[in-house]
Amino acid sequence: MRLSRFDLYAPATLEEVFYLLQAKGPDARIMAGGTDLLLKIRHGALKPKSVIGLKKIQGLKTISFDQSSGLTIGATALLAEVARHPDIVKHYPTIAQAARGTANPQIRNMGTVIGNLCNASPAADNAPTLLAMDAKIRIRGPEGERVLPLDQFFKGPGQTALIPYEIVTAVHVPAPSPNTGTAYLSLSARGKMDCTAVGVAAMVTMTGKTCAGVRLFVGACGPVPLRAPKAEDILRGQELTEEVVEKAGTQASAESRPISDMRASGDYRTEMVAVLTRRVLREAHQRALAC
Amino acid sequence: MNQFSIVGKDVPRNDARAKATGSAIYTDDVKLPGMLYGQILRSPLPHARILHIDTSQVASLPGVRCVMTGEDTPKVKYGNWRLFPETQDEYPLAIDKVRFIGDEVAAVAAVDPDIAQEALSLIKVEYEELPGVFDVDAAIKEGAPVIHDYCPSNISVNRKIKYGDIDKAFAESDYVREDTFHVHAVSHAYLEPCAAIAQCDLDGRITLWTSTQVPYIIQCLLASTLQMRENDIRIIKPFVGGGFGGKMELRTWEFCAAFMAKKTGRPVKFTLTREEEFLTGRRRHPMKIHSKVGFKKDGTLTAKDLKIYLDGGAYNAMGPTATFLCGNFGAMLYRYPSYRFHGQHVYTNKPPASAMRGFGAPQSIFATESQMSLAAEELGLDPIDIRLKNAQVTGDTIPDVATISSCGFIEALNKVAEMSDWREKRKTLPKGRGIGIGCYSFISGGVFNWFNTQYPFSAAEVRAFDDGTAHLLTMAADIGQGCDTVLKQILAEAFGLKMEDIRITSADTAITPQADLGAWGSRLTLMNGNAVLDAANKIKAQLFGAVSARFNLNVIHEIECKDGKVYPKGRPDRSLSFGEAVAMAQKINRGEPLVARGYYTPRNKGLVTPSFSFGAQVAEVEVDQETGVVQVQKFWTAHDCGTAINPMAVEGQLEGSIQMGLGYALSEQFVMEGGKTLNTNFLDYKMPSSMDVPPSEVVHIETYEPEGPMGAKEAGEGLAIPTAPAIADAVGHATGYRCKDLPITPEKILRAKRES
Repeated sequence: MRLSRFDLYAPATLEEVFYLLQAKGPDARIMAGGTDLLLKIRHGALKPKSVIGLKKIQGLKTISFDQSSGLTIGATALLAEVARHPDIVKHYPTIAQAARGTANPQIRNMGTVIGNLCNASPAADNAPTLLAMDAKIRIRGPEGERVLPLDQFFKGPGQTALIPYEIVTAVHVPAPSPNTGTAYLSLSARGKMDCTAVGVAAMVTMTGKTCAGVRLFVGACGPVPLRAPKAEDILRGQELTEEVVEKAGTQASAESRPISDMRASGDYRTEMVAVLTRRVLREAHQRALAC
Repeated sequence: MNQFSIVGKDVPRNDARAKATGSAIYTDDVKLPGMLYGQILRSPLPHARILHIDTSQVASLPGVRCVMTGEDTPKVKYGNWRLFPETQDEYPLAIDKVRFIGDEVAAVAAVDPDIAQEALSLIKVEYEELPGVFDVDAAIKEGAPVIHDYCPSNISVNRKIKYGDIDKAFAESDYVREDTFHVHAVSHAYLEPCAAIAQCDLDGRITLWTSTQVPYIIQCLLASTLQMRENDIRIIKPFVGGGFGGKMELRTWEFCAAFMAKKTGRPVKFTLTREEEFLTGRRRHPMKIHSKVGFKKDGTLTAKDLKIYLDGGAYNAMGPTATFLCGNFGAMLYRYPSYRFHGQHVYTNKPPASAMRGFGAPQSIFATESQMSLAAEELGLDPIDIRLKNAQVTGDTIPDVATISSCGFIEALNKVAEMSDWREKRKTLPKGRGIGIGCYSFISGGVFNWFNTQYPFSAAEVRAFDDGTAHLLTMAADIGQGCDTVLKQILAEAFGLKMEDIRITSADTAITPQADLGAWGSRLTLMNGNAVLDAANKIKAQLFGAVSARFNLNVIHEIECKDGKVYPKGRPDRSLSFGEAVAMAQKINRGEPLVARGYYTPRNKGLVTPSFSFGAQVAEVEVDQETGVVQVQKFWTAHDCGTAINPMAVEGQLEGSIQMGLGYALSEQFVMEGGKTLNTNFLDYKMPSSMDVPPSEVVHIETYEPEGPMGAKEAGEGLAIPTAPAIADAVGHATGYRCKDLPITPEKILRAKRES
């Protein structure tokens, strides 16, 4: 299919990015790995006149970790780099797992975690875990920087809280709390390499036998990755018995709003939210107890 | 067993290095000076009358060199069943009606592909939309919309087989079961999309490079549709990235490339996109299969009554052959004392179904195998025992249809049972885990001459040289299955030469001998292999003269070619090198080159095939009870392909078959709405990836096929058959859910669990 003509810019600084964004107007598109953007252009869904690549910008690729301040993943850090980064593998194994489970090796060597978030697909593999871990997104614009909780970032399929001329520079994940475990599971029609039809992520913090804190997010079952607050309420302050976990699963299922499409029926998705919720809760619970 | 030097060895494929290094030239890689790029305008409607096509705007777009519609063509219908012209129902471009979304309406050629694409949007087509039918039940209903005027019933082919007293046999059966199965369409999903490039010389002769399985058929049908002489058309098949049955007919882009090259005087190339392939491409026939089988108490089969409706889509394509074959395969594997088949090929407003690896067998045998396992359960027998009891053996005949000249089926059944620890696992596996069996039989090429060729079915020319080399020329099409390598091995074996001593030129209709019907029906190893042997034997007869003259042989001697030498059998001390023998033979003939042609056409081999392959496969699965997800843990396969000319290539066929069978069983399907295919990319068309393919073990059962070259028969398609029934049986064993409508999706498993 016809690839529409566009000019590609590769600025070396953020200042140049903002200059270009303002100079080229609202139709200019930001590109990190390009694995989503170029596909949309190739299929004629987008016809930008200007594409601004971020990969030349120094420092934007950084992945940094500090015991107290936590983890920062820069905008151009590749999925493959996140998947194998020793600090992430050690302290945020579920983030590494989600990155490793995204698409295929070729895509992971081009695409970025931030790009996956900014594409704002409800099925984005990296969103539920980061949401469950209470990540914050760092946004820069010509006027300066703002920080937004990730759960306020997604506005709809392909829609984010970014306003014109803004870009995401990093995602920040707090330092892992003690006695906390995370888990993410996804299902798809093909098996090992596929886009997700249902995904659920959980973070569980235990105090003794009691669940002191929990965050539960469901992917691909609504216009954005959805939180399941009522399911969380069932868990918080409780011992995570099979019965409680079962109830939370059923509740999470009731809170999801899946559609039927060619990847799965709405009914199947609803049913699987319960199954996966139970499984991620058990897994996160075990990990919380183990640390 | 015969002692071979090269046959039976793991010889690296001829094309392996070229493909691995990227130096292989595929059709789309062919670039000619001044070449134009073609694009096809396709119907957006599933069924409509074309009222008017306005192409007047197109010429105004700079860079466009040619635009054509059906009106510009000679309006000759084509189809592979030339013997029955009424089955030829397709025009290169639509004339009166469009019959599926994607039906070809017009074509343009321009100096670059983007301009050609843009030109399509300037063609205005006025349609009168007609009601469409999208499944066989709707299509055969009284008063259903008629898709082809010549065929008011929408049933384009009827095929019947009958033998034995079936009503009596059912009446005398202890146990009779009837089931209806629905099997779905899947894509060939060859990695190289269809492509063709045509050039017309100043004498008006056409050369067409095309990604095809059937150069000879393209040559003939292109000639008839262009109203040219066959030999004014030359078809060259470059490297082909898979076909699986999807590239065995003349197609629109081949015709349009040739037509527009002739018209413009410039080469014209078409390359389809993946989206076009999925949206409009050929596919495996969906079938509605009603099967009734009868047994004695002890599991002995008494009768089978099989009714199949094939959902053919908008045109016949290879549907007539699939209709014919699914009935023949219904009678294979087991001994049915009485058998009745009625197959009906039905038009619907969907992309045409056609040949696809297994050619009617994966569907028909899915029903056979499912019923054998179901019957075993009902009769309290082990599924392998009921198969052993009824298994076909060497010498069995299917009345008026075929004789089985070699058969290792029973050995294969026993072998897979042993390899997989079947008897233990079938009894003891816990709930959620299961083991299942699927079997197959397949043809080694077809006997019936529906193409109505006047030539032998296969031919080969062999040239022997005094430097100890030989040149093999054949029209056989290597499409990735490896026949170039296998045919070279056969010749090298016959001449006692090494692989590197043989040059092969294949699949160029202007220089390789007439004819070869192409790469389909798993025919090339047996048929073209026999032609190569015939040619080699003719050369050897001439070499006998030379050796005889040199060593003053007795007329009763036979000669042998081995290790680069030619000598009287049993007397290697009296030898000439191959090259010396050729030189002598040439001197005897006053310098005339040593050339021979060999041929093969099956004779007195019934109606189906000269020989059948057999095999059995066991799958072990784990089913997630909550999600319904099926994970195949392992496959065990035992198969009989006669002499495996190249065991490594046979294993390659098995690996590919398992990947295809896995997709057919579990994940692949066209998601369609009102005749439109919605999943047109590999993200949403769920073909298993390499990561989804489980480990597998294989054993070749040794048989010797008397009709095959050096004992060989097919190994290309049969292996694609057993995987789906094996998985279905294993899922049934694991969960109690017996799938009768492929694919076996998690949702179906969970629904069955809820309902039970």
